[in-house]
Amino acid sequence: MGRDGKMKKMLFVTQFDELWFDALQSLMDLRKAGFNHVVFLHVIERDKVAMRRGKGYLKDEEVRLREMANVRFIDWAEELFEQGMEVGAYIIVGDILAKIISTAEEEDVDLIVTGRHRRPKLEELYAGSETLELLRRTSTPVLVHKYMLPSGKINEKPFERPLLALDWSAASDNAVEYLLTFSDVISKVVVIHVASEKTFKSDSAMEIQAIRKENKQKLEKVCDAFRAVGIEADSHLYIGNTCEQIEKAAQEREATMIVGGTTGSKPLKEIFLGSVAKKLAERSAFPTLLIPANREVVDS
Amino acid sequence: MAKKILTVDDDPDIIAFVKTVLEENGYLPLVARNGEAGLAMVREEKPALVILDVLMPKQSGIRMYREMKFDEDLKDIPVVVLSGIAKRTFLRSQEALTEFGDDPVPEPEAYIEKPVEPEELAEVIKKLVS
Repeated sequence: MGRDGKMKKMLFVTQFDELWFDALQSLMDLRKAGFNHVVFLHVIERDKVAMRRGKGYLKDEEVRLREMANVRFIDWAEELFEQGMEVGAYIIVGDILAKIISTAEEEDVDLIVTGRHRRPKLEELYAGSETLELLRRTSTPVLVHKYMLPSGKINEKPFERPLLALDWSAASDNAVEYLLTFSDVISKVVVIHVASEKTFKSDSAMEIQAIRKENKQKLEKVCDAFRAVGIEADSHLYIGNTCEQIEKAAQEREATMIVGGTTGSKPLKEIFLGSVAKKLAERSAFPTLLIPANREVVDS
Repeated sequence: MAKKILTVDDDPDIIAFVKTVLEENGYLPLVARNGEAGLAMVREEKPALVILDVLMPKQSGIRMYREMKFDEDLKDIPVVVLSGIAKRTFLRSQEALTEFGDDPVPEPEAYIEKPVEPEELAEVIKKLVS
């Protein structure tokens, strides 16, 4: 149970390519934060069973794919059930994005865990990024999980040492609030802000130092909030390209995950923040936890 | 009057299969597609028997079974677990939940691992309902 006594649910989306059972096992530490219910979702993409000229709808193929997924889920579920966890499963034919969203809503989950699902380049040009689209359409935090670290080791506890990237938006505040509910899982949080070089265009050393001081003070205030719930925290200010600096910071601070807020409805900001979220989710070597701005805080 | 038997399963093929077996043997089939809906239907319909899957959306058969066994009005309704999940897992999960502080629950009246032959299922039902 969570601190509020509620059993939290995690939707674990797998196409059996990027995320396997060991990826799920790496998240079992979340039980300490109340995540005792795992819902598996496998989507059989429509084009794999769609009508073919002369063959019609490939029902046999659907049954085969469904049963293969079922065998895997039964095996995984047995292991979780035996630990006293609650498990559910969905195997659905359709569009993956639509099914993630509908299942998350139906089950009222607290976290969506997915791998990197990229559309082919040409399709992405017209339809946009799947990750970005998912973040736009859900108010549930999304973990784009990569459980192999750049070092080649398995990331056994992604929530142990997150790097929290803040841009001082309302979405950032939500990310802080959300992460505070994981005090039983996180041992240390590294809080950073990436300022653009343009911020430092002044030629006055005093002015530049004032900007540095202001950001540092804000960062320290956030660190204090984490310390107050027993999480070790330190802060760092970076300058340069947002994505590059976040990735660099995660590497040099030995983070286990990158966390950030994403805006939901402000179109102009979304272009920038959405693109940072998308790049981190799809290109970063680290698991990326993205918290939509319009989410309801579960444990506040 | 035909006795009501509730099947709780999310697989439409299994539902159709069990429904046929029940109808051919003179029972009145009821259906729920997850543990949450199943529990509500047990409370409302008080069936003579429940045929219960384990791995389902919303609420698993493991939790539904526990809730039935903790409910004074429902605990005596016999349950046949019909699932791809092994019996050993079902029992171990109940033990694990007991370790978390709940009271122990008895074993289900019958446990059949899928797939099942219609005759075998009909035989088990007949034994428990009569």
